[in-house]
Amino acid sequence: MIVFKDVSKSFKGFLAVKDVTCEINDKEVFGLLGPNGAGKTTLIMTMATVYRPTKGEVIVDGHNASLESDKVKSLIGISFQDPKYDRILSAREILEWHGKVTGVEKTVRDKRIDEVLAKFGLMAESRKRTWTLSGGTKKKIENAKVFVQRPKVAVFDEPTAYLDVPSRLMVWEMIDELRDEGSTVLLATNMMDEADRMSDRVGIMNKGEMVQVGEPAKLRGGLRGRDIIEMKLEVPIPELPGEVSKTEEVKEARFEGDTLKIVLSNGRGLLPYLINVVTAKGGKVQSVSLKEPTLEDVFLHYTGMKLS
Amino acid sequence: MIWVLIERDLRTLVKSPFILINRTIFFLIQLFVFAVLVSKLASSLGFNYFDFYSVGAVVSTITSIAFIIGEDLFEEEELGLLDYLLSLPFGHSLFVIGRALGGAVRGLIYVTPMMILVAYLDGYFSPAGIAGSLIVVFVLATGISGLSITLAMLIRNANRFDIMIALAELATVRVSAAIYPLAYMPKPLQPVATYSPVTSASDIVRSLFLPGYQSGVYEMVILVLFLAVFFGLGSAFLFRKIEGGRFE
Repeated sequence: MIVFKDVSKSFKGFLAVKDVTCEINDKEVFGLLGPNGAGKTTLIMTMATVYRPTKGEVIVDGHNASLESDKVKSLIGISFQDPKYDRILSAREILEWHGKVTGVEKTVRDKRIDEVLAKFGLMAESRKRTWTLSGGTKKKIENAKVFVQRPKVAVFDEPTAYLDVPSRLMVWEMIDELRDEGSTVLLATNMMDEADRMSDRVGIMNKGEMVQVGEPAKLRGGLRGRDIIEMKLEVPIPELPGEVSKTEEVKEARFEGDTLKIVLSNGRGLLPYLINVVTAKGGKVQSVSLKEPTLEDVFLHYTGMKLS
Repeated sequence: MIWVLIERDLRTLVKSPFILINRTIFFLIQLFVFAVLVSKLASSLGFNYFDFYSVGAVVSTITSIAFIIGEDLFEEEELGLLDYLLSLPFGHSLFVIGRALGGAVRGLIYVTPMMILVAYLDGYFSPAGIAGSLIVVFVLATGISGLSITLAMLIRNANRFDIMIALAELATVRVSAAIYPLAYMPKPLQPVATYSPVTSASDIVRSLFLPGYQSGVYEMVILVLFLAVFFGLGSAFLFRKIEGGRFE
């Protein structure tokens, strides 16, 4: 288990992480969401003992990150947002050195390196200097370090940035495998689909604070009552917003051009009834869409900001 | 674990053939063209410049290579590589010692063939003496690595750092008895060069390889003091920067 107890970290008076308290359970994928500059990377670096918390403490698997940094570091493997390795070296050399320094035994290391390189389709390029490779390939090598290490706590900071769709799916599959093998995964991302698909729980960070923690489905569920139905009509009928608002579940209704926009709870259940109301008033419905809350909406709700 | 850290420095050095080839060619040209020519000119003085210079060339080469570690550290911080290195499972103290030794070890590995070649050319064949000379240049290189790390930790501007490293390298090699005898140096520089660790290392190796050259405790003390001061300073500054979260 990873425990953040009232953790703050400041740099020259700038508070990058502010009073973060949260727990990450063993063998779960914990998504850390937030826009750039939210404090995600600083929080990760504090856990990884690279930064010392200005206040509070981080406990990883029972070890205090400030007092037992060597023990904590031996448990953690990080795939950084921007690839961090010697670009004069080849992928194979980078992975060999990373495996060696993190204590992966040679025969196991060699096997894992071959497996990971093959999965990422990097065999042909494995002996080229990495500075000659594309951004996506460099990112794959950064991720590969953690997949070779297979640490107890695996941290991925924007693991699918720069990657194409097949590579992204491959990374997700490999992270799932890591979790299945018993690793705890901390996944920092600002990609909602990634967080939603991968995470058992997510923590939303904004301006250095952890503003909400929970399971994605529950967080979305917490926003029930914020469904949006958009009905495009052939001709707008002015009395329709007032008519549909007579229903208790409807919070708001208005026309935007020829589209009737209705904010309500239980949109899926009420949709047939609302279409009836509209057609009874002579409205001709051309198209209908129902939008239920997403993690993006959850983020918007708690921070007042859009992620993208 | 410390060896794994040093290994990384060696891997990156080996993958920089341009630097290696460049410095090897420079060494060979200096030895077989420059030193041979100047030796002929100086022969009328009854002074074998080739023998004198050959040792100095090895000492100045290892000095120059040891300075690279500061450039590496500076670059590592600029590229954010330091975050990665500090997240790896070794203590910060070990990291600091590993970097300082890494700079010295790669210098030593690089100049060992040069030292053997020079010993052969100087007609010196004692393996123990050659090993001793390598220990002397290793001590020098560790101190130079410390000096280079100190500069890297104190200077934040890349251009200023490049200039300072170039000046420091120039000063340590040129204001010393590596390339020319103290007696022939400009008078104001002679007292400085006398206390230079590069002078001390050159004199000790010459006293091993060449008849008629002497050195003693005095040179050893200068060398060890230089090592203690700059290895200590470099380690302390690097450690302070790491422990302070680097940006505070």
